[in-house]
Amino acid sequence: MACSPPPATPRSGRAPGGGKSYAGRSRRSLGVELTNIGITPGQLTGLRAPTSRGFPKSRNITEHVDPEQIALLVKNEWKLSYVTPLYQFRHVQLKSYSKQLSAFIVSEKQQGIAVEIGLETNFKVVFSVVLGLAETEDDAETVFIQIHSKPPFAGDGDVPKIIWSGWLTCVGGNPDYLRSLPSGFVCLPLFCASGSESLTSLVKLWFERTFDCSFGTLNLNSTYLQWLASMWTGCHHVSSIRYLKLVWNLPAQPPLDISYTVHPQDAWDLWNSVREQDSTGDTIGINEVERFMKGLESHFFRHFRIYLSAGMLTKVSTAFGSAHCDGKIKVCTLLQPGIFNIS
Amino acid sequence: MEDVAKELLSRLVRRIPLVRLRHVLGRWERLSKTQLLSLDFTQPKWALCENLLSLCEENEIAVKDLTEIEMLYRSEYPDQGVWHVFQLVDTSEESLSSDFMHFRDQFKANLKDLINHVSIKMKKLEDESVWIRIAWGGNFSRPNHLKPTYVVHHLQTPYVFVSSLANKHKPLLFQALALSAHCGSVKDVNLSGRCLTALRDLSMRQYKQVFPSRHQKRLEERDLLPNPSIENEHIKLAEYKQQVASEVFGDGVLPKLETAVYKLETKYREHGSENLARRDEPFRGVVKFSSSNLLESLKYCVSSGMASTPVTPLLSSITHKGRNYFVIKDKQHGSVPNTSASKF
Repeated sequence: MACSPPPATPRSGRAPGGGKSYAGRSRRSLGVELTNIGITPGQLTGLRAPTSRGFPKSRNITEHVDPEQIALLVKNEWKLSYVTPLYQFRHVQLKSYSKQLSAFIVSEKQQGIAVEIGLETNFKVVFSVVLGLAETEDDAETVFIQIHSKPPFAGDGDVPKIIWSGWLTCVGGNPDYLRSLPSGFVCLPLFCASGSESLTSLVKLWFERTFDCSFGTLNLNSTYLQWLASMWTGCHHVSSIRYLKLVWNLPAQPPLDISYTVHPQDAWDLWNSVREQDSTGDTIGINEVERFMKGLESHFFRHFRIYLSAGMLTKVSTAFGSAHCDGKIKVCTLLQPGIFNIS
Repeated sequence: MEDVAKELLSRLVRRIPLVRLRHVLGRWERLSKTQLLSLDFTQPKWALCENLLSLCEENEIAVKDLTEIEMLYRSEYPDQGVWHVFQLVDTSEESLSSDFMHFRDQFKANLKDLINHVSIKMKKLEDESVWIRIAWGGNFSRPNHLKPTYVVHHLQTPYVFVSSLANKHKPLLFQALALSAHCGSVKDVNLSGRCLTALRDLSMRQYKQVFPSRHQKRLEERDLLPNPSIENEHIKLAEYKQQVASEVFGDGVLPKLETAVYKLETKYREHGSENLARRDEPFRGVVKFSSSNLLESLKYCVSSGMASTPVTPLLSSITHKGRNYFVIKDKQHGSVPNTSASKF
């Protein structure tokens, strides 16, 4: 259960280009992995770091969302960006958007701005809605975009390949903020992209021009990765995490990567030993996260006498998925319903 | 030409960068000068491959000639794939033969006794290293020239470097090696990496080592500094760290290793987690260090203070013992130590 109420909106109304302020909310909107990775209202950017988080509400996502659509969301590694609210975006016009975006990509490619000219001649863009991801009435439904392409020398029988996919989503957004938007704005603050960089930037450009919005990078800082490591480990007794892998990068010359893969049961035992006596099952405090990480780092130090704190935590992964500090996430498995009901 | 030969040639052309391919073909001596000059290395690779194929058909080149291209390429550019180091144990001084011909005949005969379908090619390079290429076959299949094993051995040394060896072929190769080098057995020294010279230097301790010295270097006078005594302390400390780093990891150009892996099976002993410390089972985990030049990175960590001094034996063992895979367990009384494990 979420323990803290969603954070208050830093400013009401739409602030054009007020990038960072949306980033905090967009983390709440990670959609599917929200249920898996264990993200609750709070901050990503460290502007207002939460001191405690609750395990997300148990929600059987497969009951709400078409399993085929879930499969689309879990198989890729997604690069995250935040998006400011879209002006005049209508879910009923997705067909027309499909045509417009494919025409836009073809014309941009022909201008020679993008790379790989002539490689992808027949673009087909498909916009679709992923129903059921939205948690509240205020959340806009998730929009999924796929770009198909036929290679220039493909035969008639060849099926076009999916060369890019991406989605815009909003899950459990702050109702006060969402209601304060002027009419005509749709808030889908998290953009996930998987495919070539050139197509990603073309899609962003089209959105920026068509809906008067702007995109920004969304990085995951060390503290956030530490929360993930702790929360995932905390789920181990319900569904096996199989391993807990943490990767640090030390600024040596040449740079040194240190990965520490911990046995799941031992990570869980350490996690149990750092939990506070009076902590209820469904919230985690920042103190507990810090003690857990310190416990791992000092065990490492006892062996290698290297200060991991001199470097940066760059990646966290378990069987549930992975998160990289440069804003890439991957969701590997969908957990069973009731996973976060720890009593 | 056989299909296997065509497949092997096109694979070689695809894999070898053009500049290197030109060099290797020049050394190959199966194409005439005019034929070599007729090849256009600015062409796309598929076109070059077609031309090369027709030249090979003209000269009636067989598979064994083509394997020579591969062998030339691997020995000229050895830093490809991962090499594992093994050691011939229970050898006596006289048993390590320096006669290549003798070793070659023995090895071929011994390996062919163990397995019927095998193709072996051996040659000795100018640096006295013996290169062996083995294409393995099955009971009913011909040797697979597309997935050969490479073995490098310096005669009169106990070290063998092996690349792309399948587990099922390991006993066969080791038995043939042991028989032909007259040694008792072959042992894994738990050292691997991409750079063959580095592995050779590490296993034979041929890099520039620094030995502990008690003599502090005389510090230069620094009158101009605002507080010479504090500066002096800093310099002393920095010099001490430099010295320790060099003693542990060596000086000058360090052997190039990419990884070091530690399997930790030690008890958890930190304060504040008494429950965890009380239990009998170890706290299990695997730590992997990786860098484009691991020893340089570790040395930098020590000299810059990211690692505290003195350096733990776990890290210094990489150079001192010449290995980069360790299993770390707590010291136990009365138990027979595991040969692959380092006690901590």
